[in-house]
Amino acid sequence: MTRPSVLVPIQVLEGESLPEGTPELLANAHVVLLGYHVIPGQTAPGQARMQFEDQALERLDEYEELLTDAGGTVDHRLVFTHDAQQTIDRQIAENDCLAALVPRAVADLDDILVAVRGTVGLDRLARVVGGLFAGRGIDVTLYHVTGEGETDADVDVLLDGLADRLTDADVDPDRIDTRTDRDVKPVDAIAELAESYDAVVMGESDPTLATFVFGLPADQVAERFLGPVLVVQREPQDE
Amino acid sequence: MDDREVGVSTGGENIEGEQPEPEPESVTEETTTHDEGVELERTIGLVGGLAIGIGTMIGAGIFVFPGLAANQAGPAAALSFAIGGVIALLVALPASELATAMPRSGGGYYFISRSLGTAGGAIVGLGLWLGLVFAAAFYLVGLGHYVVAVLAEVGIVLSLGPAPPHVVLGLIAGAALTALSVGGTERTAALQNVIVVVLLLILTGVLTYGVLDALGVFGRQTVPDAFFSKGYFPVLSTAALVFTSYLGFAQVATVAGEIKQPSRNLPLAMVGSVIVVTVFYAVTIFVATSTFGANQLGTFGETAMVNVGRDLLGLPGAVLILVAGLLATFSSANASILSASRSIYALSRDALLPRKASEVNLKYGTPHVALAMAGGPILVLVATDSVKILAEVASFLHLVMYALICIALLVLRRRDPEWYDPDFRMPGVPVLPAIGAVASVALIAFMNGASIIIGIVIMALSYGWYRYYAEDVRLKGDI
Repeated sequence: MTRPSVLVPIQVLEGESLPEGTPELLANAHVVLLGYHVIPGQTAPGQARMQFEDQALERLDEYEELLTDAGGTVDHRLVFTHDAQQTIDRQIAENDCLAALVPRAVADLDDILVAVRGTVGLDRLARVVGGLFAGRGIDVTLYHVTGEGETDADVDVLLDGLADRLTDADVDPDRIDTRTDRDVKPVDAIAELAESYDAVVMGESDPTLATFVFGLPADQVAERFLGPVLVVQREPQDE
Repeated sequence: MDDREVGVSTGGENIEGEQPEPEPESVTEETTTHDEGVELERTIGLVGGLAIGIGTMIGAGIFVFPGLAANQAGPAAALSFAIGGVIALLVALPASELATAMPRSGGGYYFISRSLGTAGGAIVGLGLWLGLVFAAAFYLVGLGHYVVAVLAEVGIVLSLGPAPPHVVLGLIAGAALTALSVGGTERTAALQNVIVVVLLLILTGVLTYGVLDALGVFGRQTVPDAFFSKGYFPVLSTAALVFTSYLGFAQVATVAGEIKQPSRNLPLAMVGSVIVVTVFYAVTIFVATSTFGANQLGTFGETAMVNVGRDLLGLPGAVLILVAGLLATFSSANASILSASRSIYALSRDALLPRKASEVNLKYGTPHVALAMAGGPILVLVATDSVKILAEVASFLHLVMYALICIALLVLRRRDPEWYDPDFRMPGVPVLPAIGAVASVALIAFMNGASIIIGIVIMALSYGWYRYYAEDVRLKGDI
């Protein structure tokens, strides 16, 4: 099985470091370690590079070593930018990252919560969960909030299908659990439930007016959940 | 566009033993890439590029010059603006071609140092920095006039010590802008875009009304005037004076390293902003001279457009133009200070100025030394209160660069080195760039003697600095 590639963005000069537990979390991943530094519009990116490049690369090397020691493979990038989001999006596209990590500390990795939205993007979700957590003695809970117009049977098909795919990817079927809820707001429900898990895996949704106003669900969950969140990226759109 | 290899390599060291920064590995549509996985993100889109160009230019041409130009050339001032526009376009085309071949920060300085060598680069680079300093000082004096006019409109007459109030206000604005650039971490680029859009909307509204009015739609007699009422020569000397209104497109090139999809956006932003402002200038002069006649317009000085606004639309018209004038001169001064700081960075990167000059402070992440090297001299120049000299010296220093840009293009096209592979190729080579070079130099000849002398002294000092400080630095690519 190929290693799922995961983007780990770190504001390397703003005192952000690789949070504790991240190397273990990503032991089976191909990590794209992105050190980035956001500079104000008055400053040319090259100007910041002249001054901070050595210091930033030194730190990235340190983190790279930690990740490699835990078993991951690593590629690093250091980007000076005026726009963090643009840089992160570009790196995801260029390096074909399946997921991006919201880096947070995690002590022991025993169980993860996988929020399943629907059939769209299910393949990538399965590749991330299977690739990162198969055969590691980690409990996986597949969670879905049933929407209007969805029957319980639909949801069973959805979650069982995913469970089968994970089993095929060598996740121990005894460690896979499913759970559903109805009549709750998905973001609230996921954030609440996440508190009893060590990490969350969820998909990135399509931008809509609501996400424009309230932010992407993954960001909202990440804001409330204090542990690491793996955000599975949408299929890249061919232009 | 494929990843572009950067074909030039630099060498040597300056008197302090500093070497030019190594050139990046390659330039893509989205980044400039150095080794060890280090990248510089390109974040300015087409709108941002146009806003820099238009925002820098429009302040002067519409809000400061119409009165001064009408005073010198009569209604034919419109022709002076048109001549400036044609010359600007003749330079914007080769500058676009060079920028798509070398989309790096520093603009004209970068093209010339890489194609004509370090000496030419130093003269142009230091000239660009100081040219922008003169331009910013000119905009700030204009800004001061607008603040005074705003206050006069509400019945307040300022008296601020021995200096004229507009100079004091210009000094305050200059110091405030510099401080804001050092300490402000807001997205100033977004603000600049909004200001330019608001400006263009106000202008389009007022000018549309003015054109209809001038054409007699509202039943008014226009003031008849002989077109060349002051003769032919003043048309050219006025063209030299108002050329300051066309300096902004080169500022787009100073941030070429930060423009997204440079092969498409650089030519569009540079040529597009020249065309947009030329149209606005021509219409403005037409409306202004038909409203008042050139003679009366000439007596209104720097804020003549306020009178035009009042005459057309009453008090609201005057207020609109005042607001627009404040925004325009503010954005021009702001853009010039930032571009000057970028030029200093480009020079310091290439060891033509001490490395210290481009230092970024840890607290705000802003280049405080470079900004001070722009802001300090600007304040001194504002204090001189010589609008025409400031404008002409700014134009002089830019025109020298423009002429050399045209020559650089001719040299590169002729030698055609392997690394020179622009995505945009201008038409009409070698005739058009040759005309551009000659016209740029010719325009200088029509300036005030004092402006020419100051310009030549600055060039001589720049050359002297190069000989003293960085004679051994090699920047020229293989051509």
